[in-house]
Amino acid sequence: MSALAETFCTFIVRQTDARSARVIDFDKLSGGAIQDNFGLTLELEGGSRPGRHEFVVRQDAPSGVTESLSRPEEFRLLQAAFSAGVTAPEPLWMCENPDVSGRVFYVMTRAAGSASPRKLVKANFTNKQRRNIVRRLGTELARLHTVRPPQQALEFLPLPHLDNPALSRVALYRRYLKEIGEPHPVLEWALNWLEDNAPEPGPTVLCHCDFRTGNYMMDGDELTAVLDWEFAAWSDPCEDLGWLCCRSWRFGADDREVGGIGDKKDLLDGYREASGIDLDPSAVRYWEVMALVRWAMIALQQARRHMSGEQRSLELALTGRMVAQMEFDLLNQIGELEEGQ
Amino acid sequence: MINQPETRDLLTEARQVLLNSVRPELTGERKYQVLMIANAMGMAIREFEQRERGRPEQTDRTLLAFLAEQALETTAGEAETTLARAIRERHLDGTDPALRSLLRILTEARLEINNPGYLKR
Repeated sequence: MSALAETFCTFIVRQTDARSARVIDFDKLSGGAIQDNFGLTLELEGGSRPGRHEFVVRQDAPSGVTESLSRPEEFRLLQAAFSAGVTAPEPLWMCENPDVSGRVFYVMTRAAGSASPRKLVKANFTNKQRRNIVRRLGTELARLHTVRPPQQALEFLPLPHLDNPALSRVALYRRYLKEIGEPHPVLEWALNWLEDNAPEPGPTVLCHCDFRTGNYMMDGDELTAVLDWEFAAWSDPCEDLGWLCCRSWRFGADDREVGGIGDKKDLLDGYREASGIDLDPSAVRYWEVMALVRWAMIALQQARRHMSGEQRSLELALTGRMVAQMEFDLLNQIGELEEGQ
Repeated sequence: MINQPETRDLLTEARQVLLNSVRPELTGERKYQVLMIANAMGMAIREFEQRERGRPEQTDRTLLAFLAEQALETTAGEAETTLARAIRERHLDGTDPALRSLLRILTEARLEINNPGYLKR
């Protein structure tokens, strides 16, 4: 562990031209089945960044899932988001040479606070604090969505192959379901509904695609960083809002539609204030249905990793048993949407 | 063969020991692991209960009756695959209340094993 800390430290010294450096703290951070994240605190002398700094080093872990970006791609995404004004960790240095640490890695600034969803959902916020947090989430998404294709640095991100990102998703999830090879009548039925009810697409923008409670850091009531960019893609802006509002990500606080924190109206207000764009609430509800299907697909893939023996894990196995929850929510939500029409 | 006490009883007791005696001693990752184990054991116990009450057979009969009514040929082991394919290939009307009700029965039967608390939400 300490040898790894010294390796990262030497790399940073070289990047900053520091005269010397001392490792103050080094630990493996929790979360991330696809990547290893390390917290590294250094005291740097001289060079371009003198003083004490807290960094995060992110490198590949042995396993991966179907929808995921490489570390260098993620680094460029983070640069694009950071430049667009999103409160993301500042991407500092990329190391594409696997000989340095054994794997490809990059270094970014470390944000204060916690991303724990349960802690956040249980926090005793006032209504005003809740409004402000949710508006801020809207602002962050609005800033991210100013990044539009084509972008040379992001050319690895495929454009939706159909004119409509929603129909592209439907085709993708039908393919996943076929590959998984397990009968799921409710998911097939929901995919038909999503195909038949796809709204007019919005502009194609850079979407985070995993923007939910648990993937942004909060220090008290202040958002300090949007994390976990490995699923980002060109898509419809409402995909990000639908994912954030999906019932699966309210962590038991079902009546607080936005990530178990607050109201959708405030999210849309925050988005509008930052972008001037009035998103259609019914399109967001459509993408909440899409989010349930997507989460079901991810859960099925995770269960397959366990069942195939690729990665035996009780957590992955139990995730497979969660699919019935998404199916139950799909039956209810599609029913409610049809009643409202 | 008589083999007492029953497996379901053993599992139920083992889960109680885990939750009442072991869990209070643990924190962090270990506590999380124990809760996952208790969760898996709870599913096994509920599945035993469902089988004792003949619930899986009841659900299968409902599914087979629906397929027969729609003139969709199938076998007992393939019924859910047949239903999934018929929906995917648009042989069934997605707005049909009988289909909706069947989908709900199939989903609730699994939730009764996996997470009965979710049905009340």
